[in-house]
Amino acid sequence: MRGSRSARAARPAFPMRVIAPALFLLLVVAAGRVPAAQTSTATLNASINSVARLSLSSAALTFPDADPDTVPSIQASQGPITVTAKARTSPNGTITLTVRASDELRSGLNTIPASNITWVAAGAGFSNGTLSATTAQAVATWTGSGVRAGTQTFFFRNIWSYATGTYTLTITYTLSAA
Amino acid sequence: MRRLLPLLALFFCASSPALAQTLTLSLSPTVITFPSSDPDTVPLISAPPVQVAYRIRANGNSPWSLTVLAAGDLVAGASRIDISNVTWVATPAPPFQNGTLSKTVAQRVASGNGNVNPDTLGSITFRLANSWTYNPGSYTQTVLFTLSVP
Repeated sequence: MRGSRSARAARPAFPMRVIAPALFLLLVVAAGRVPAAQTSTATLNASINSVARLSLSSAALTFPDADPDTVPSIQASQGPITVTAKARTSPNGTITLTVRASDELRSGLNTIPASNITWVAAGAGFSNGTLSATTAQAVATWTGSGVRAGTQTFFFRNIWSYATGTYTLTITYTLSAA
Repeated sequence: MRRLLPLLALFFCASSPALAQTLTLSLSPTVITFPSSDPDTVPLISAPPVQVAYRIRANGNSPWSLTVLAAGDLVAGASRIDISNVTWVATPAPPFQNGTLSKTVAQRVASGNGNVNPDTLGSITFRLANSWTYNPGSYTQTVLFTLSVP
């Protein structure tokens, strides 16, 4: 009687013979689970090069004839010229806009120094100045990439000593980034 | 054994759907390049299309989704371009949809229900909003596509 009770108590609840295959099956099943997500990676590359673009609202300036006593400073009939400068440069890079006259004002053999043309500027980074046929004059400077706009209003110094004629010259703007 | 059998049955019931689901996803190309362009003439720079091949098997009628998440902004040294400047146009729609990249929240690229078998192709064209304010440089960033079922 005692021996029988002892034998019953020693028997495990889940015999190893049964548990081992079950655990093995469980492990196989668990190991075979397919992830519910699949990933893939891509790389984005973007090349940004330095580039600059300059535009003027007018490509010609005209100073009408006037009496030097009544109009000592003739404003260009186009009024303020809008200058738009677009440029890309390094974060602390300097963008410079300059203008230079190709020559003096000429009418046949007669000349008037280009320095008799001045401008008044408006807009962030713009500055007033005087034309020169020998040295590029600063119109504006900025720091960093971006789009900037301002105006230049040109004036011609009118004096009695000029010989009569129709005078012309070409001015060249240069937008550069460093 | 009487106690173990219900446990095993429960395990099988819980794991059966996951067991059957098979997801495959591949991209081509995996390098997406935006060429440099003048912002005035090319305000939106398109990269060559990316072909997405995907397959979803034994998913029953469960939903699936394909998302994309950027690891950060486009970076070139100290210069950055916010990743939200990158958008995409995807076809066919549905299941694909257009969107904007984010570095914080995975954005849905495509979604549907059930199985997609055999391999099915979609096309994604990424676009970079071009701007004069960008600093010159070679920018790069990685994006992670994830095809998932609940």
